[in-house]
Amino acid sequence: MNKTRRITILAAFVSLAIVLSILESSIQIPIPIAGVKLGLANIVTILVIITFGYKDAFIVVTLRCILVSVLSGSGLSIFLFSIAGGLLSTLVMSLLYAFLRKNLSILGISIAGSIAHNIGQITVACIWLNTFLVLTYLPVLLVSGVVAGIIVGIISKIVSDSMQKIKILKG
Amino acid sequence: MLKKGDLILFGVIIIIIASAFLISNLSHNNSAGKTAEIIHNGKVLRTFDLNSITKSEDITIDDKYHNIIRVEQGRIRFLESTCPDQICVKTGWLTSNGDIAVCLPNQAIIKITGKADNVDIVA
Repeated sequence: MNKTRRITILAAFVSLAIVLSILESSIQIPIPIAGVKLGLANIVTILVIITFGYKDAFIVVTLRCILVSVLSGSGLSIFLFSIAGGLLSTLVMSLLYAFLRKNLSILGISIAGSIAHNIGQITVACIWLNTFLVLTYLPVLLVSGVVAGIIVGIISKIVSDSMQKIKILKG
Repeated sequence: MLKKGDLILFGVIIIIIASAFLISNLSHNNSAGKTAEIIHNGKVLRTFDLNSITKSEDITIDDKYHNIIRVEQGRIRFLESTCPDQICVKTGWLTSNGDIAVCLPNQAIIKITGKADNVDIVA
């Protein structure tokens, strides 16, 4: 793939991730716990890992977290949680995709990524709040991570199959 | 769509979740006492014996944001907050032991423990 095409598609992925993040914040989930959410932007992370590799995935995730934080004005704490969760989940998914691709489906990788995301967030929350009390939320966050991971995984699989068909990444 | 490794992964995840629930249940305290703690930046600011409170009281925390915490007989909640996500306010009233509400942006936590007449029997 030539350089211009690569930059253009990656930029489109970053903007897609930003839109998904902001769109998602308007979906009301009736569980008042920080971190319980779908994580639709993870769809983009998975697609970038598959099509461009882990290095670009880290760049896309970092840019998304910074830009969403600036655009939504949500403050430093929320930024720290999203970047910690985002980077840990990208790391876990990249490793699984690199080494266990033959044995794991996109769905499995996505679920592992969602759980890693929530574990990253709760770790930063413990440091931020200077107490381990928030670990009370861990069981709920793990279950919500599995549910989110399933939804994100199914969508990622569908989109990644379609992307192979339209050959947008060739040439 | 699913592969063999997925089943192993799901098994591992189920074990992790089950043990997380088990641990949180074991550490759950069911004694009759009802003590509320207001914690800011890891330090306990105030404690209340919720059973013996007769008048409601408001406590404010001023840090990056402004929290108003209301304490009443048997319950406590974040009443108002200037933080962007409002998750602390949406959590609503805490009424039983083990309940917890967190305002992440303001580093504030309220929780109810059974400390009031809790006797340590494990000693």
